[in-house]
Amino acid sequence: MFTSNFLSAIKIILILFFILSAKALSQNATEIVKKADELMRAKSSYTELTMKIIKPNWTREMSMKVWALEPDYALIYITSPARDKGTVTLKRKNEVWNWLPSAQKVIKIPPSMMLQSWMGSDFTNDDLVRESSVINDYTHKIIGEEKIDGYDCYKIQLTPKPEADVVWSKIITWIAKDLYLQPLTEYYDEDNKIVKRFEGSDLKTMDGRKIFTHWEMIPLDKPGNKTVMDYTKIQFNIKIDESFFSEQNMKKVR
Amino acid sequence: MITYIKLAWRNLWRNKKRTLISAASVFFAVILSLIMRSMQQGYYDYMIDSSVRLYTGHIQIHGKDFWEKRSLEESMYFDQTVIQKLKENKNISQIIPRLETFSLISAGKVSKIVQVNGINPEIENNVTKLSEKIVEGNYLKENSRGILIAEGLAKLLGVNVGDSVILYGQGYHGVTAAAVIPIEGIVKFAIPDQNKSLTYLALNYSQQLFSAYDRITSLSILLNDADEIESTKTFLKNYFDNSYEIMDWAELSPELVQSIQVDNASGIIMLGILYVVIAFGIFGTIMMMTAERVKEFGILISIGMKKGKLAIVTILETIFISFIGVAAGALISIPILLYLVNHPIPLTGETADAILAWGFDPIIPFAFYPGMYFAQIWTVLAIAFVSALYPVNFIRKLKPSVALRG
Amino acid sequence: MLFILAWRNVWRNKKRSLIIIAAITAGLSCGLLASAVMYGMYESLINSTIDRELGHIQIHSIEFDEEKILNDTIPDFKSVLNEIKKIPEISGLSSRVIIEGMCSSASSSRGVKINGIVPEDEIKVTTIQKQIIEGSYFSSNLSAEVVIGKKLAENLDVKIRSKIVLSFQDFEGNIVYAAFRVAGIYRTESSLYDQSVIFVKQSELFSLLNSKDFSHEISLRLNSFQQVDSVYSKLSKKFPTLSVKDWKLLAPEIKVYYEILDIQLYFFMGIILFALLFGITNTMLMSVIERIREIGILIALGMKRSKIFLMIIIETIALSLVGGIAGLIVGVIIIEIVNSTGINLSAFTEGLSQFSISTVLYPVLPLSFYPIITIMIIFSAIIAAIYPAIKAIRLKPATAIRTY
Repeated sequence: MFTSNFLSAIKIILILFFILSAKALSQNATEIVKKADELMRAKSSYTELTMKIIKPNWTREMSMKVWALEPDYALIYITSPARDKGTVTLKRKNEVWNWLPSAQKVIKIPPSMMLQSWMGSDFTNDDLVRESSVINDYTHKIIGEEKIDGYDCYKIQLTPKPEADVVWSKIITWIAKDLYLQPLTEYYDEDNKIVKRFEGSDLKTMDGRKIFTHWEMIPLDKPGNKTVMDYTKIQFNIKIDESFFSEQNMKKVR
Repeated sequence: MITYIKLAWRNLWRNKKRTLISAASVFFAVILSLIMRSMQQGYYDYMIDSSVRLYTGHIQIHGKDFWEKRSLEESMYFDQTVIQKLKENKNISQIIPRLETFSLISAGKVSKIVQVNGINPEIENNVTKLSEKIVEGNYLKENSRGILIAEGLAKLLGVNVGDSVILYGQGYHGVTAAAVIPIEGIVKFAIPDQNKSLTYLALNYSQQLFSAYDRITSLSILLNDADEIESTKTFLKNYFDNSYEIMDWAELSPELVQSIQVDNASGIIMLGILYVVIAFGIFGTIMMMTAERVKEFGILISIGMKKGKLAIVTILETIFISFIGVAAGALISIPILLYLVNHPIPLTGETADAILAWGFDPIIPFAFYPGMYFAQIWTVLAIAFVSALYPVNFIRKLKPSVALRG
Repeated sequence: MLFILAWRNVWRNKKRSLIIIAAITAGLSCGLLASAVMYGMYESLINSTIDRELGHIQIHSIEFDEEKILNDTIPDFKSVLNEIKKIPEISGLSSRVIIEGMCSSASSSRGVKINGIVPEDEIKVTTIQKQIIEGSYFSSNLSAEVVIGKKLAENLDVKIRSKIVLSFQDFEGNIVYAAFRVAGIYRTESSLYDQSVIFVKQSELFSLLNSKDFSHEISLRLNSFQQVDSVYSKLSKKFPTLSVKDWKLLAPEIKVYYEILDIQLYFFMGIILFALLFGITNTMLMSVIERIREIGILIALGMKRSKIFLMIIIETIALSLVGGIAGLIVGVIIIEIVNSTGINLSAFTEGLSQFSISTVLYPVLPLSFYPIITIMIIFSAIIAAIYPAIKAIRLKPATAIRTY
């Protein structure tokens, strides 16, 4: 399932696409969401992607490599542009470190900086570590069936439970009946206005799986802004353990 | 009428002592109320002046929305042509470019978010005397690649001159800004918040570090004459289009405006109380003067002078006295006020040190404006005239027989 | 003998005496009012900050002063609280939890200072509850209430009942997220404060942090502003291992402003006293001149000049005492009346009316001031009498008697 955050965006592509023989119609909303959520949790992965940050009067493109070990560890290595090359972000549980090659130093991001944008993108450092459970924090309801981008989808509404620490008043997501792909997710504020949309497209087979490789995150309250991600390479269930995600390794990875 | 005036005038000089005492009460009233108001106004000017010089400038120009969002994305383009164009305006005395942004500063295990000010060392020092706040190390030069950090911050980070700190933040268009920077000097601020969070880089270097080449976040402007703010704003609006915001000090520091307004209101109450005391002094003098002349009035009335005529003569006398007092007070106060404006009263002792540490001058300043000058003169004159009505009433009620006996 | 003469003189010419008495009465009551306005202004100036956030005195752990992090709690704060409760001057006592955190809505996120308070205690120390412009101060039926500033509400684009998510670090350095609902929106005169300070019940923070009660800041309010210095020194002695600060240390910028104002107001008082002195001198001078003939006769009759001098001074003292008592009574009445109504400053200055708060000035005068001002005024009355008295004894009796 999709929260707004960046790692989840990466996780999207980690979904294991079992083709289910069971008819989806017989499932209830929570089961569909649960299945999608379980399916996206590959144990570990290696991803190469480019991220394009689009602002009304400028754009910026970054390429990076991402190693991830669910659910607590991730390491991101920036390969371009030249000025940022070699910058490493390490996520361990709730904490974020950065390796700055220009300063040759590792810096732990203090809480006061968690809300700053990550590498100038629409994601914040906080988004990297934040995990809210779409299963436990929301109630789910199928509110219809629609065709999105040619995919037959369930339209499912997620309503946060009263005490859940999420800012959205609801999330509406479309889940393709057969592949559990999610071509569109919308986030609503308390005035029932859409605050942002998450769109997936460009179905490709990577490491043997059919997934969307082009993702756009569009904040609707900031016209002209969006963040676009394109996945160029993915390997699932790679051999990697916790020791990889260390401060020492931040300085070594290429 | 001429007869009355002559009579009144002659009466005045018949008893010089009495006239002088009465005129003196008006004279002092003018001087005291002028000094009081001059001090109040001087204080407001001083507050505004200090705040303008140390913080906001008379006018600031930013990229649109910078004041609200405070991010580098709202910075503006700046180069020598801008300076040259602005220097054409003769009202502008100083043009202060700054590149202000926030960044993580880190030394050892400690890190903190601080404000990083990219400054032109020379201009900044002319205006805010930053170099005098250096407690260790050296002040920045135009091409310095070192950093000045506030004393409290240095203590928190456990660093000293010669050590290095890491700045890590976000540059223009989201580019990473990270560098190891040697500490060039340590500056001490009296305001604890500033002393814990301010850092300075040379403008050139900070533009390079934050990838904001030829960009600044604010352009502060000091004027030769604070009365030219509106005209200068108009001039600036012609030069800078809608993608800039142009704000004067009152918009930049509404809190200062408010505190001055509150202060001014209480000042006016104090002035009112002074007027009451003054009025009583003048009124008491005139009452005494009148009481003293009971016999004289009694005689005049009993030998056939009409009460009305006598009243007119007395009123004229008081008016003369008021004019003499006010004129003398107004004249004498000009050199006094001018002296005070140019020689504000210096403060000494602990308070003075504290004030000085904040970058303010430890003085009690005075101001001198035509508006306030005439306002005080008219007020005192009005008080004197109202007091002049007392003898009229006194004469109306006077019974010559009683007066002659008393 | 001289006293009786002077006292008789006072009442011999009632009109003249009454004029002088009235001058002193007016002078004294004005002097009292001026000081009260002065004090009222001090208090309102300082109070806007004290009322909003500081309280009169605050206690922190020494580390909190420097770093302001979660772990810098006050050791054994409950016994500290109990100790403080014994001080009779205390009128309000609030223990606060202060956490730097973040506050997010669907549209935006901001860094904030989260104040965990006990609302019943906090209202006795600060006045934010009076500055609520929408909603209520922790009396809604919402379960997790947060009270935020107007400016922050605008920044986050939230309204009453809107949900916001707070996030902050716990004792282990993990980030805690929690949903709160906006129960009240306040507005102070400082927009900086309004956009960065929020209030929640501290019990909710304790349960979120899975922790026993703790405290970062104890803020206390005294019955009167004038008690700060004595209570402050008492507390500093009692708690040498804690950081005890009065408002002057907490907000040095206000202190400097206050000091500048203080000096300025001494000048005002000086000017007013001078004006008063001059009024009395004038009136006394008139009185002496009026009596030239009488005084001349006294001298001619062989009365010593020093006695005449003394007589006039004693006369003035007698007059001053009568005027002084009258002035005190009038002054107290005026101050009481003005204090109960307040002076709305916005009537005096244009543009002030847009600020809804702290524009009403309440003149107050500490009790100790009444005798001081009274003595000062009587003293100036005596000084004022010296010149006329000298004038009187310099008279040449022959000229004096001839003149009138």
